[in-house]
Amino acid sequence: MFPSPLHRILTAPAAVLSLLVLTSCSAPGEQAGAGESGTGPIKVANVNAQSGQLSSLGKWENKGVKLAIDEVNKSGGINGRQVQLDLFDDQGDPTVGTNLGRKIADGGYVAMLGTAESAVTLAMAPILKDAKIPNITSGQSPKLAGLKSPFLFLNAPTSVTYDETLAKYLVETKGLKKIALISNNGTYGTGEHDAFLASLKTRGVTPLADEVVTPDQKDFSAALTGIRDKEPEVLFIGAEEVESGLIAKQARELGVKAVLAGGAPMGTEPYLTTAGQDATEGAVVSSPYLTNDATEATRAFAAAYKTAYGEEAEVHGAKAYDGARILVEALKATGGAGGQKLADAIRATKYAGLLGDFAYDESGVGIHATQIAVIKSGELVPETAS
Amino acid sequence: MRRLALIPLAVAAVLLPYGLDRYAIHVVDVAIVFALLGIGLGLVMGVAGQVNLAQIAFFGIGAYACAILTTRAGLGFWVAAALAVLVAVAVGLVVAIPALRVQSHYLGIVTLGLALAFINWITNTPEAGGSEGISDLPVPPMFGIDLTSEHLFYYLEIVVFAIGLAFALFVVASPLGRRMRAMRDDSLAAGALGADIPLLRVTAFVLSGLYGGLAGVLYAGLIRYVAPETFSVANMFLLLAMVIIGGRQSILGCVAGAVALSLLREVLADFSVYAQLGYGTVVVLMVVFAPTGLAGLPRLLRARLSRHRSGERAELRPFTPDDPAPVQGGGDMLEVRGVSMRFKGLRALEEVSLTVPAGQIRGVVGPNGSGKTTLFNIVSGFYVATAGRVLLEGDDVGGVAPYRLARRGVARTFQNLRLFGDLTVRENLLVALDHTRTAWTWRYVALPHAVVRHDRALRDQAARLLDRYGLTAFADAQPRSLPYGIQRRIEIARAMALSPRLLLLDEPAAGLNGEEVLRLAEMVRSLRASGVTIVIIEHNMGLVMSLCDQVTVLSGGRVIADGLPGEVAVLPEVVEAYLGEPAYLSDDNEDAPEAAR
Repeated sequence: MFPSPLHRILTAPAAVLSLLVLTSCSAPGEQAGAGESGTGPIKVANVNAQSGQLSSLGKWENKGVKLAIDEVNKSGGINGRQVQLDLFDDQGDPTVGTNLGRKIADGGYVAMLGTAESAVTLAMAPILKDAKIPNITSGQSPKLAGLKSPFLFLNAPTSVTYDETLAKYLVETKGLKKIALISNNGTYGTGEHDAFLASLKTRGVTPLADEVVTPDQKDFSAALTGIRDKEPEVLFIGAEEVESGLIAKQARELGVKAVLAGGAPMGTEPYLTTAGQDATEGAVVSSPYLTNDATEATRAFAAAYKTAYGEEAEVHGAKAYDGARILVEALKATGGAGGQKLADAIRATKYAGLLGDFAYDESGVGIHATQIAVIKSGELVPETAS
Repeated sequence: MRRLALIPLAVAAVLLPYGLDRYAIHVVDVAIVFALLGIGLGLVMGVAGQVNLAQIAFFGIGAYACAILTTRAGLGFWVAAALAVLVAVAVGLVVAIPALRVQSHYLGIVTLGLALAFINWITNTPEAGGSEGISDLPVPPMFGIDLTSEHLFYYLEIVVFAIGLAFALFVVASPLGRRMRAMRDDSLAAGALGADIPLLRVTAFVLSGLYGGLAGVLYAGLIRYVAPETFSVANMFLLLAMVIIGGRQSILGCVAGAVALSLLREVLADFSVYAQLGYGTVVVLMVVFAPTGLAGLPRLLRARLSRHRSGERAELRPFTPDDPAPVQGGGDMLEVRGVSMRFKGLRALEEVSLTVPAGQIRGVVGPNGSGKTTLFNIVSGFYVATAGRVLLEGDDVGGVAPYRLARRGVARTFQNLRLFGDLTVRENLLVALDHTRTAWTWRYVALPHAVVRHDRALRDQAARLLDRYGLTAFADAQPRSLPYGIQRRIEIARAMALSPRLLLLDEPAAGLNGEEVLRLAEMVRSLRASGVTIVIIEHNMGLVMSLCDQVTVLSGGRVIADGLPGEVAVLPEVVEAYLGEPAYLSDDNEDAPEAAR
C-alpha cells in the first residue's frame, strides 16, 4: 500500500553501477598539458603561505622572488619574453599544497619557486615530478634532499649543514661541551633537532638536556627551568624566528647564563626584536647569509630590496632571490623551455649568489656551507673560520 | 518516478570527467572525499544528535592507518585500506564511550579533546612521520587501470560514494534511523519507548567512524601523502560548517554543503584570510535565518508561501475501540513495596506501597509536589528508588533501564508532552511499533531486504493504529504544529503502539476541554477492555471519580488514603490535604522535573 522509500533507495546504486560499467570503455582526461608554447610570457609559479602561522615567512620569500623577476623583466626578459610570476597561497597546509600542485601542472607553468615550509614541498614533490616541473624550494629539511627527485632543488643548505657547522664551531673551536637543546616538534624544529644532535654525537658529546616544545607554545618556563638547573654552557634553540626570540628572552629572565646558538632564524630582525638586545648578546648563529653588508652583491641586493619594499632585507628574501636568479639563468639557457631540459639546466647552472656559490648535486642541494656569526650589540659579526 | 530521475544524474556523474581538466577533476575528487565525511558527520550529529568534533580524527585515522600499513608494514593498498577502515570503526567505538556518560556541549568538548590528542600523537610519533607526514604512498592497484590518473580515480570514488550515500539514506529511512532521530529529539522518551539508547549512541559513532575511515582511505589513495595539518581542528570546523550550511538533519543536505563549500574553498583559495571569515559569517547567517540549512530551504519557502493560503483544516476523527480481550496476565500487575526516594535533602517519597491488580484502572491523586510523577518515574525506570522494591507481575524490576521495561510491557505518557518534534506523527508511532532488539542491527548490512520487509510491516501497523486513533489526517504533520488535544491523543497512541500490559498516564486530561475529557475517559475504558492495566495521575477529580476503580492519595510523599473513589473523597485527611492547597484544580506545573536521567 505504501511505496516503501527504503526500496527505492536500495535500487538506486544498482542503477548507477550498471551505468558505470556500460560507459567505462574510453578513459577521460588524457589530454596533454597546455602551455610551454614558444610565445607569450613564461609562466612561473610562486607558492608560499600568505595566511596562517607561517605567513611572515611566505611574505619574505615572495618579496625576494618578486625582486629577482622584476629585475629580469626590466632588463628585457628572457629572449625577449617576459616572465609572468603568479603567487599561490598554500596556507602552510600540505593538502592545499597538493591542490596547488595540480593547478600549476595544468596551468602551463614551467617552474615553481617555494615553498618555505618543507612539509608542503614534500607533499607537492611527487606531483611536480610527474608533471616534470622543476621546483626550487626554500625548505631546508634533509628529507627534501632524501627524496632525490630530479625536479627538486633547494635554494639553501639543509639543516645538516647549518648544524654541522655550528656544532663544529661550538665543540671544536670553542671547546664547549655542556650543551642543552630546546626545539619545537614542527618540521623545521624537528629537522634542526635531529641534525644538531647527530653532529654532537659524531663529536662524542651528549646533551645535558633535550627539551621539545610545540610550534605555537608561548611559555617555556617549565622546559627552561629544567635546563637552568643543568647549568649548560650552550643552549641550542631549534625554532622559527619569533619562537626563538621568546625562548631567548625567557631563558635570560629565568637566569640561564648559557651562550645561545641556532640556525638562520636567530640572525633575523623578528628574532632580535622579540628577544631584545640584552638577551641576544653573544649568541652564535650559523647562516649562509649573515649581513646585508657582506659583499658587493649583498649590498646591491639590500639596497634594491629597501627601495622596493621600504624595509631591511633578511636571509629568507635573499634565499628566495638566489633561487629565482638561478631559475632565470637556467631559463635563459633553455630559451624558455621547461620540463626535463629546464631541470638539467638548473643542475648545470653555476651561480655566485648572495648565499655563496651554487653548484647542484644529485640530491638537489646547491650550497654546502654556512658561516658562523656572533651577535654583538644587535649586529651579526662574522666569525672568521679558524 | 523518482527512480527515473536518478538516471540522468548517473549519466551526468559518468560523463563529468570528460569535461574537466586535471586540476578541476582533482577539486571534484577532494569534494567527494569531504562529501563522504559530511555523510558520516550528518549521521552522527544530524540524525543521532551526538555532537561529534572528532570526525576529522576518524578521517585522519583512516588515512594514517592506510599510510603506515602500506609504507611501514609493507602491506598492499587494499589490505591496508580494509584494515584502516576497521581501525577507524574501532576508534569510533572508543569515542562512543564518553557519549554514554555526557551529552550535548560536554560531548563536544570531549570529542574535540580527542581530535586534538590525535593531532598531537601524529605530530610526535616518529612512526607517523612527525610534522612532515608520510609521503610516497603506493598507487592503489585496480586490475591494470592506472589510478594515478585522477579522472579514473574519480570513478572509484563515485562508486564508493554512491554506495555510501545509498546506505546512509537507507539507514536514515529505516527503523534504526528512526530510532536515532527519536533519540536526538528526546532521548528520555525514546528510551521509554524501548529504544536502547546506549547501543544507539555507539552505533552512531561506529557509522561515523566507518564513513571517516572510508574517506581517509580514499584520501590516502588520491593524494598519496598524509600530514597533520590536513586533520587540524580548523578543518574540523570547516567540515562542521559544511554540515551546518547543508542542513545537518538531511544526508543529502550534508552532501550538498560539503560539495558546495569544497568548491567555494577552491574559488577563494587566493583569499584564504577572508575565506575563514566568510565561512564563519555564512554559518552564523545560516543558523539564524535557515537553521535547517540548504536542505531545509524548500520546505521553509513552501511554508512561507502556504501561510497565506487557507487550506481546509484536517479533523480529528473519533477513536475506534479495539476488540475486547481478556486481561493479560493474572494476579497483581504492579506492586510497589515501601519505596522511598530522596534527592539530596529532599524527601520526595516516603515508604510508599500500593498494589495494582491486573485489569484495574487505578487513579493516583494528590496535591502538587506530593510525589506522583516521581512515583511514575520510578516505576518506568527513570529513577532508581533509594529504598524499597518495584515488582512487575511478581518480578523485581528496580533499577531496570527504561528501554528494558518498555520491552517488558510498561508504557507511559508524560505530563508535559514528550513527542519527537522533528518526526512526523506516523514516525512517532513507528518508533514505538518497532519492537526489534538492537542486536537485530546486523541485518542492515547483511540482509537489507529483510529490513525493507520489516519496515513495510511496521508501516501497515502504523496505518491501522493511526486509523484507530482517528489520526490519519495528521499522519504526515509534525506534532508540534498540531493543537494540544491532538498531541495528547498522539502520545497515548504512541504509548499503545508498544502493546503494553501496563500503561502509565501522567495527567492525560491536562489542557483538554470538556468534550475531549469525555472522549479520553471512553478511550481509557476501551483500552482497559482490551486487556491493559492502567495507572493514571490526574487532577481532574470528575474524571478520576467516574473512571477509576480504585484511588490512591499521595500527600507529602506518603500514601494517606487508598480505596474506592467514593470512600476516599470524603476522608477528612484527603479533604484537608487538598484544601491545604486550594490550587489543586490548576492543570499546570506539578512536582519535580520529569526526570534527570
